[in-house]
Amino acid sequence: MSAPHRNVPLTGTPLGDADVDAVLEAYRSGWLTMGPRTERFEEAFAAATGAAHAVAVSSGTAAVHLALLAAGVGAGDEVIVPALTFGAVEDVVRACGATPVRCDIAGAHDHNADPADVADRVTPATRAILATHRWGYPCDMPALRATCDRHGLVLVEDAAQAILAGGVGAGDLTCYSLSGTKQLGVGEGGMVTAPAAAHAARVRSLRSHAMTSVTWDRHRGHAQSYDVVDVGFNYRLDEPRAALGLSRLGALAAEIRQRRAVVRAYRAAFADLQDAVVVPFTDGDVERSSHCCFGLVFASGGTRDAVCRDLGRHGIQTLREPDIAVGDRGTPRAGDVASRSARLPLSGSLDEGQVAAVVDAVRAALRR
Amino acid sequence: MATAAQEPIPLFDLRLTDDDLRAVEDVLRSGTLQMGAHAEAFERAFAAHLGSAHVVALSSCTAALHLAFVATGVGPGDEVIVPSYTFAATAAAVLYCGATPVFADVIGPHDPSIDPAHVAALITPRTRAVACVHFGGYAAPVHELRALCDRNGVALVEDAAHAPAATAGGAMLGTVGQAGCFSLFSNKVLSVGEGGLLCTDDARIAEQARRLRSRAGYRFDDMRAALGLSRLRGLHDDIAQRRRLTRRYREQLQAVDGLTLPYPDEAVDASSCYVMPIMLTDPGRRDAVRAALRSRHGVQTSLLYPAVHEFTAYLQRFGRIELPRTEHCSRAEITLPLFPHMTTAQQDRVVAALACELGAP
Repeated sequence: MSAPHRNVPLTGTPLGDADVDAVLEAYRSGWLTMGPRTERFEEAFAAATGAAHAVAVSSGTAAVHLALLAAGVGAGDEVIVPALTFGAVEDVVRACGATPVRCDIAGAHDHNADPADVADRVTPATRAILATHRWGYPCDMPALRATCDRHGLVLVEDAAQAILAGGVGAGDLTCYSLSGTKQLGVGEGGMVTAPAAAHAARVRSLRSHAMTSVTWDRHRGHAQSYDVVDVGFNYRLDEPRAALGLSRLGALAAEIRQRRAVVRAYRAAFADLQDAVVVPFTDGDVERSSHCCFGLVFASGGTRDAVCRDLGRHGIQTLREPDIAVGDRGTPRAGDVASRSARLPLSGSLDEGQVAAVVDAVRAALRR
Repeated sequence: MATAAQEPIPLFDLRLTDDDLRAVEDVLRSGTLQMGAHAEAFERAFAAHLGSAHVVALSSCTAALHLAFVATGVGPGDEVIVPSYTFAATAAAVLYCGATPVFADVIGPHDPSIDPAHVAALITPRTRAVACVHFGGYAAPVHELRALCDRNGVALVEDAAHAPAATAGGAMLGTVGQAGCFSLFSNKVLSVGEGGLLCTDDARIAEQARRLRSRAGYRFDDMRAALGLSRLRGLHDDIAQRRRLTRRYREQLQAVDGLTLPYPDEAVDASSCYVMPIMLTDPGRRDAVRAALRSRHGVQTSLLYPAVHEFTAYLQRFGRIELPRTEHCSRAEITLPLFPHMTTAQQDRVVAALACELGAP
């Protein structure tokens, strides 16, 4: 017998009337490039995350690229990155002229970097460690900080999935994603926060072609021309997306609470399946996470694929993990987890019926 | 003479229609903001508009240039011939590939396009591509450049940031080279805020750009795609207004001493008329004239462009290069206000302000 068909998207961005109005007001103003709304969003983002400085950028990938450049990463350097992460991360390290060095994860129960393995990967060429908070679960920042301090390294956080998670933001630079699949999705976007004004200033310069003035300055008569003082990028956000981010920031804590409630429900429902699946992270971790994603580690890649196919037939969206680590013998635990895990739907707007439909479909698929 | 008390005339002034706003609102209400069905529809519509086989929506025109160079095979050790009379992104995108931008001069103040004769002289065995810019929406000698590139086995990439519906010899700009790059930046003809488009007839270039889009952090999103699709419907009307205003500017400015107008009158009919550039006969007066236009007449202007080879970042990398015609244009040019709903009265004020300032000793 098959479960009833129920469309459950992997993710979603529930917007209220105030959010819609904020975006339309920005479009109606006719001023779309970075200006007053972007400045207000940056200030509010810094306040919400407890950061001294926040610089809005075009994507989470752009955030990591500029954070690494601001950290001084360049040709000949090595950057330690987790093996279980978005593929763009390694490309961005290479775009800086540096070499990504993969570290392994703790294991199927904890997908964050293993701090002991990170420490083992440090060489005289290492310049920075990229601390990734997977799915929103904070990695072991004190341990990574200790390694950085011991070797004089810069600690850059990839908090693309971990806005407002416990302990996040303690790095030298912290990178956020505002893509539509994230807790604070605005479509595409990103943010870099930093305690040091110099780091923030460097990110600010490089996000708009290292020009000494931007269109908004010239529009207001604050500048008549500009110089280009470095090789920068177009990593700008625009005003409508900044307005959306600013509007959504107020409801973010509630959104995360709703996501946490869904994750608790999933964990309770899968608790008796411990022989068949690993439900990663601990109940304590759940309280500190900001819950971008939820997923399971299945007994094998074959089981994972069969479950995903079954859920797809019921209209339930799933996502396999990026498989860059699969087959990499230097990081066997990351490769193992990537080969047999999948994400299930998670958003603040999932209702109890949808969660029950996902749970029933997974349990039914595992019984086959 | 106009007074500063009058309402300022902005350089550009974007007005979205109710249809545009409804298109954005529909996406917002759907709860799915990331790139999806709207982005695909926008890509298809822009491809149909150009008559191009493939269009890839991206985060910016800079991103489009970067991926166009990567996909045409530009890599470390290569040279790409680019104009210096352009926005810095044209050259920066070459540097992203690990390649070296080699700057070519423009033809002159009457046609500030890259000079094919200088391009021909700069081609070496290391040249992998040539980039041309359709300044202000006016065609560079793109067919001549394509023939030159073909003879030398190098790619032509069109920086058509200014030229979303302009033509050269009947061909849409952006479709003559191996790849064309368009801007959706806030002050552009087809603006959505931030965004870019890459067009190509080469399936391999399109496939590579699509594959790299997500990896490079260059994704577009559906909110902007829906707006772009809505605004594309009004593009021809917008450009018709821009051309009408440009013709009128050119008639009126004939009576003003001390300036020349780039491009012949008939080029306006094929241009997207992104901006209204003028060239002062005496570049030494440029800064004072701009300051007076702003403070005494409430007329906002811009400069397109400070020369890239003279920027600190490029001087540090490549040293002093002599490009006399580029340097002249970059010091002589003033960009006047131009937007589709500009009124005759506003235009008259701009012309009168220029006449007043240029006529004064």
